[in-house]
Amino acid sequence: MASNDLMVGLEIGTSKICVVVGESRTDGTTKILGVGQAPSRGVRKGEIVDFETAMQCVAEAVADAEQKSDLMIKSVYVGVGGAHIQSFNNRGSVLLPDDRDEIDEQDVEDAKISAREVSIPAQNAFLHCIIQHYHVDGQDGVLNPLGMLGQKLEADYHIIHGVRTRIQNTIRCVKELPLEVEDVVFTALASAQVVLSQQQKNLGALVIDMGGGTTDYILYVDGAVKQSGAIGIGGDHITNDISMGLRIPMARAEKLKTDEGSVTLGNCLPGETVVLKDDSGFAGKEIERETLNTIIHLRVRETFELLKKQLDEENFINYIGEGIFITGGCSLLPGIDHLAEDIFEIPARVAHAQTMSGLTSAFQNPQFATAIGLIKYAQAVQVERPQRRGLSRLISKFLPGIR
Amino acid sequence: MIQLNRNYTLPEREEDIIPIKVIGVGGAGSNVLDRVVLDGMDKSDLIAANTDVQSLASSVASAKVQLGRSITRGLGTGGDPELGFAAAEESANEVREALSDARLVFICAGLGGGTGSGAAPMVAQIAREMGALVIAFATLPFTFEGKRRSSQAQEALARLQGITDAVVCFENDRMGDLAAPKAGIHQAFALADMTVSQSVRSIVNLIQRPGIMRVGFDDLLAALRGGGGRCLFGYGESDTDNRAHEALDQALRNPLMDRGRMLEQATRVLVQVSGGPAMTLSEVEILMRELNRHISDETQLLFGTAVDGRMGNRLSVTLISSLRREDAPAATPPVRRPMETHVAPAAPQPPAEPSPQPLLAILPEQSAALEPAAQENPAVSAKTKELLPLEENSPEAAPVQQNEPEQAPAAQAAPEIEPTPAPEPVARPEPVARIIPPKKKPPLAPDYTGPKVLPHPQPEKGSREKVARQETLQFEPVTRGRFEKSEPTIVEGQDLDVPTFLRKNVRVK
Repeated sequence: MASNDLMVGLEIGTSKICVVVGESRTDGTTKILGVGQAPSRGVRKGEIVDFETAMQCVAEAVADAEQKSDLMIKSVYVGVGGAHIQSFNNRGSVLLPDDRDEIDEQDVEDAKISAREVSIPAQNAFLHCIIQHYHVDGQDGVLNPLGMLGQKLEADYHIIHGVRTRIQNTIRCVKELPLEVEDVVFTALASAQVVLSQQQKNLGALVIDMGGGTTDYILYVDGAVKQSGAIGIGGDHITNDISMGLRIPMARAEKLKTDEGSVTLGNCLPGETVVLKDDSGFAGKEIERETLNTIIHLRVRETFELLKKQLDEENFINYIGEGIFITGGCSLLPGIDHLAEDIFEIPARVAHAQTMSGLTSAFQNPQFATAIGLIKYAQAVQVERPQRRGLSRLISKFLPGIR
Repeated sequence: MIQLNRNYTLPEREEDIIPIKVIGVGGAGSNVLDRVVLDGMDKSDLIAANTDVQSLASSVASAKVQLGRSITRGLGTGGDPELGFAAAEESANEVREALSDARLVFICAGLGGGTGSGAAPMVAQIAREMGALVIAFATLPFTFEGKRRSSQAQEALARLQGITDAVVCFENDRMGDLAAPKAGIHQAFALADMTVSQSVRSIVNLIQRPGIMRVGFDDLLAALRGGGGRCLFGYGESDTDNRAHEALDQALRNPLMDRGRMLEQATRVLVQVSGGPAMTLSEVEILMRELNRHISDETQLLFGTAVDGRMGNRLSVTLISSLRREDAPAATPPVRRPMETHVAPAAPQPPAEPSPQPLLAILPEQSAALEPAAQENPAVSAKTKELLPLEENSPEAAPVQQNEPEQAPAAQAAPEIEPTPAPEPVARPEPVARIIPPKKKPPLAPDYTGPKVLPHPQPEKGSREKVARQETLQFEPVTRGRFEKSEPTIVEGQDLDVPTFLRKNVRVK
């Protein structure tokens, strides 16, 4: 097994840190060799707020993964998220010199640079620059312009950017362990790699990654990323709401949410209660199930409505042919797919990783979608098939000398 | 919960029985009727009317009318209200025959289907044409039965409201709450039927039971007037030491009451407290004081109390009110007119018993009770008299004075209350006291030495109300819990870290 076939995805989530060790196989599939995780501390809403603690947690998770996969982890692909991540679409264009009409790699690169020549806030850095489509002399929908004849090359890019220092914090956290950072990837983009097949991307799909601290989303139409972003609301907010609404400690609220919570209203019998056990296992407080569900429902509904508002700023949501895929820890809440269907009026389902082999328990859990997605992303980058659009390699300005 | 199989028949001396007929229209109506029969109501004729012969045959009602003999040929209407209407039209004569002599007609129907939605308004019309007072008990379908059904039901409800004197509307959705969470579906439906049946019976009892402070049609209609939205109905009884509290608690716990929360929005609430001879004034006082916490200052109380020897040790409370639906405020006029015309002839029988006090004064004042401006007695009485000639149109019209005996048993019942200071017979004909104008002592009853129930709660009401209000308010500081120290997520001016239910003012727990 050549070592460069080994890939490690690391996601520093708000509720926990996941490390997935995978192996790329010659037939294009990925085998998961081990999964390590550790509860996350020092992370709020997808961003590191306590550097030391977060670093410790990452070290724990990595050690866990090393132990389980029996491999030494040297370099990782890191997922970054947080509400600071923003995106937009831009078009770059290049005019070929008069004496040449065959488009070469340099022209494509120039088009990308020209697309990036937009003003983003000073403190922000480019995270991804994902090609959507090329246009050659006005001809639309060109997938690969290399070798084509034309005078004018235009390229539509989806550009994802975030606050530079926050991204650097994540990188530093990993580098101090010390581990090498192969690449940083927007979490929703990583999740989409594992949740969506190429065909689903072509038909148009929306991936909602509702994690502990943030809700990230990415929208594909015609096989290309059209919209992406993040909202700083996640499962922690639900837990917090429950804790405050029912006046129970956070840990209890979290357990209550995962064990008994549902977003479906009016589905429980009137007066049905959940008995909250105290530490000694004796029956403690009784909680009305409908109350619990109402709290969860309101929060999730609001988050989705907020998301819809963001998506409605552009028209792409109407071109979704495949549907909505919900992943991340919150997708485990029963009924969340129906609520999404209700709000977006598009078929929705809870998705987990596909086309994987190895530890089934790992990829069937939507909580691992991002970490596994990082491996898929890495796989695509390492193979470096240029036709795999949407997976541009990232060696950003803020990361000189990493590779 | 509420025991339904108890049968409060009136004392034998009750001679002024109003001829009441209860007609169940359609499948749901027949079911309710069956329930009324099973629960026992011996003072009225029960008639089942349906298009479906099979269902009709299985009904236990004493009289049956098959609707649309040739139109539906003994089958149902298949959910088509027009067919139901046509069927009722065809069988109009039979219906008329069945309802003959009735002074008061209760129509039970489940709206949403064919027969109930289509035939019930027709039956109501027939009853009205015959000069009877018509009250409809309509059940609205469950939401899960579909929008089509509920729109049919709304349409039928609107028609019924136009024709009948009052519609008591039951929402199946809310009655579903009646059943214990794990009860079978048949039990849930049976309980829904029982609720309707219970209210039919308690309304009949309410009207016919002699009272120290009687509750009449007028009060009932006043309470239901302007409804068309939700009917609030609660009934509770208890025989324990703390029976006043428990009975009220039970009544408020009725799902149609929504734990008394809805009462606050009601403009008029009819309350009848009845009990055995041992019922004390202080019990009624406690009960009313407690009830006052659930109603707003502006609410008009239509209060009645009755002593019934058969109640034994028990004390029962009946609460009836209706909420005005925002979109249907015009339901009032059609209801008001007949109320005054029909109260009068309700008791055609001459007094056969020694009725100590023919209370002449009652009638006009009762009518007055219906008027929103209850204080303007002279004007209202005049109006009532004006309206009386209308009555002569109906064949059974009876002179006004014949109504008096209806009041007689009140006087009889009164001496039975031992702990209560015996009401002065002279004082009794002041039924205006039943209307409690908020924060005012009943001005017309200075010599009311009888149950001093009403004036007592009044002065305290304001302060008590405030206390109650405070309990319901959520004084919760806006906190962000564990996100207290993190960067706030602010979207459109809202701090999303604050729980959604707090920002949206949704009450939990």
